Amino acid sequence: MWIYEKKLEYPVKIKATNPKAAKIVLDQYGGPDGELGAALRYLSQRFTMVTPEAKAILNDIGTEE
Amino acid sequence: MNRDSLLAQLTALDFMAVELALYLDTHPCEKKVIEKYNSVIREADMIRMEYERLYGPLCSYRSPSNADQWNWKDNPWPWECAANFEIKEREWQ
Repeated sequence: MWIYEKKLEYPVKIKATNPKAAKIVLDQYGGPDGELGAALRYLSQRFTMVTPEAKAILNDIGTEE
Repeated sequence: MNRDSLLAQLTALDFMAVELALYLDTHPCEKKVIEKYNSVIREADMIRMEYERLYGPLCSYRSPSNADQWNWKDNPWPWECAANFEIKEREWQ
């Protein structure tokens, strides 16, 4: 179970509008090699972990991403 | 304190809490870090309560709502520039 918080974890200073850069950022976020895919992989891999530390870190990194 | 600076303070504290928690996952016996973590989340909780009292809920099922209107839905949402205190010139939103 996750909690959505209506605020940013780390707000970014955007100085100028740049559609090309925006496209790259969006791809890094939801694209084939992006954060979203990585997050889901961390959350799946946690099920095969043996130590409590490993379960915790994969759970929490997956959550943060 | 105004909305931006209150939110900036809360954001900084919550970010610290996230990072300390990740560190503690793999260093669970470092008492000094646990102490720091506990003090950070205590301070963050106080500021979160103050922020929510003044500017509305941050969570859709933990925060109290305005009595006459479900103000969870109110703008701004985090991806809108009105919510980003790092952006100084927000007239282009």
